[in-house]
Amino acid sequence: MSHLGIFVDRKTLSNADQLNALIHCRDVAEKLGHNAEFLFPVDINKIPKLDALFIRARTDPMNITYVAARMAEFHGIPVLDDANSIQICGDKINMYSHLIQKNIALPKTVFLSKNDISVEKVTDLFDTLGTPLIIKEPSTSFSLRVEKVLDIAGFFRVARRFIKMSDWIVVQQFVESTYDWRIGVLGGKLLYACKYTIPSVTFKIQASVNGHVVYCGVESMHQVAVPPSVISLGINAANAIGNGLYGVDIKNNNGDACVIEVNDNPSLESGEDACYPQIYEQIVDYLFAA
Amino acid sequence: MNDRYKVPGQTGDWFGVDLPDRPPVKRKAALREAAMGNPATSLHLPQKKEPVMARDSPTIVRRDHAYHVVAEDYSYKSEAYYTILAHELAGDDIRPCSRAVLDAFVVPVCLERASHTGIPVVPWGISQGYVPLPAILYGLNYFATTSEYSVVQDTTQAKEVIKHITNLGKYPFCYQKISDRAAIHTCTAIFGWTPGNNDEIVTTAKKIYDLFAIPLVSMVFVQTGNNFALSSLAPTRYTHLSDEERAFLSAYRNHQEFL
Repeated sequence: MSHLGIFVDRKTLSNADQLNALIHCRDVAEKLGHNAEFLFPVDINKIPKLDALFIRARTDPMNITYVAARMAEFHGIPVLDDANSIQICGDKINMYSHLIQKNIALPKTVFLSKNDISVEKVTDLFDTLGTPLIIKEPSTSFSLRVEKVLDIAGFFRVARRFIKMSDWIVVQQFVESTYDWRIGVLGGKLLYACKYTIPSVTFKIQASVNGHVVYCGVESMHQVAVPPSVISLGINAANAIGNGLYGVDIKNNNGDACVIEVNDNPSLESGEDACYPQIYEQIVDYLFAA
Repeated sequence: MNDRYKVPGQTGDWFGVDLPDRPPVKRKAALREAAMGNPATSLHLPQKKEPVMARDSPTIVRRDHAYHVVAEDYSYKSEAYYTILAHELAGDDIRPCSRAVLDAFVVPVCLERASHTGIPVVPWGISQGYVPLPAILYGLNYFATTSEYSVVQDTTQAKEVIKHITNLGKYPFCYQKISDRAAIHTCTAIFGWTPGNNDEIVTTAKKIYDLFAIPLVSMVFVQTGNNFALSSLAPTRYTHLSDEERAFLSAYRNHQEFL
């Protein structure tokens, strides 16, 4: 009997849906005939005894999930997410660089070093990328440090805040849409597809508005209801990163699909899997087939 | 991420961990030792005030058909990190690689990787509260840096430090149980070269350079008896380099032959 570890961090569990999804994942693994147990950060030393590791905690190269992924790799244990995916997806400079290398369609994107930020440069960015501009701190997640700026003063206000956290920032053309496609990809194949409907009060999938957190709506979509070009773009984008589990966000305005970002450790607990009830079976099978 | 050097370090080359009633020790890795048998002494010595390299600005040295990025700070999302990344994506032979700098400065990963190549390391564990005493503690989160570590000897000290490095229990931390008689030794390696240290450290520094290829790094060792075990690697500020170290770095940059 194979032994699956599901790595969780109670500090990043924020709601009952996440907890239910984890329990569902464990139940699925057990139904498939495997032993499954939750591992917490203090259980890192148990990783060498596992047959596979599934990380379900907020990933970042600077936190405990990276340690878990590397520990698994040092001992030849299949792991989702692998350290390479955490490193690339955790940093938007790295992630967009990989997408650009593979000619994946993106909004116009510029990387800006803190040493290069000047009025002339910012003016030039507004001229070439248009108004408004989107500024991203590279390690942002859940749209936390993504801001829309309308003028040079606004740009400097946001950039000053972000360069305290990163020496480089991302500046991007703004692409308006009422929803994002989320294409889930596992091992280079479509795993699920859904729509994230962007709240009318913001341009992000999650934002704090007047002190209240507003979330996007989630609508699981059957494959046939998703434009094939969106699915193939999602798969190509995921392949540009690696061979693991990814959630690719895509905007598709007037048929011009472009990738907004590729996420490792994508959310699976908000109804993304409604049309794809076999998601966890596929993930567990993938891990043990590796 | 840019507050890497916020906590002022104490000076001194060696310190035991068996001193009673001592507050938690936080030190930046910086050792000033007289160089002995130093190959750099015949080289140009930069003036005391002369910066050997510009801060916040990584320097690229082309040597042995590879690019070497020399920087004070290789931390994630720093200028040096992105310089390395840009070269990697361009397909250049760049040292260190981005994976190496991530691995080197996340303590458990650094030690696991080092131990796999036979480098003696201090046994470590991850905790969210309990810690065996005495121990060295490292933060393990987005805001932590290996430049800061704490040696704790009693539960009162430990509680205080843990509260700080875990941001009131939000993050886990890495602990290293050490013996009552252990001493901690910090030294700088420049391209694997460590002036004025004993043979064991010299050999280990070379192995660490072979493994991570980080040109400028501080190494923290725990000495028990005659044995040295690696505790962590940390960034090094140019201002903490001795004259000999500055000369060596300067010579390497100027392609002088001394190796």
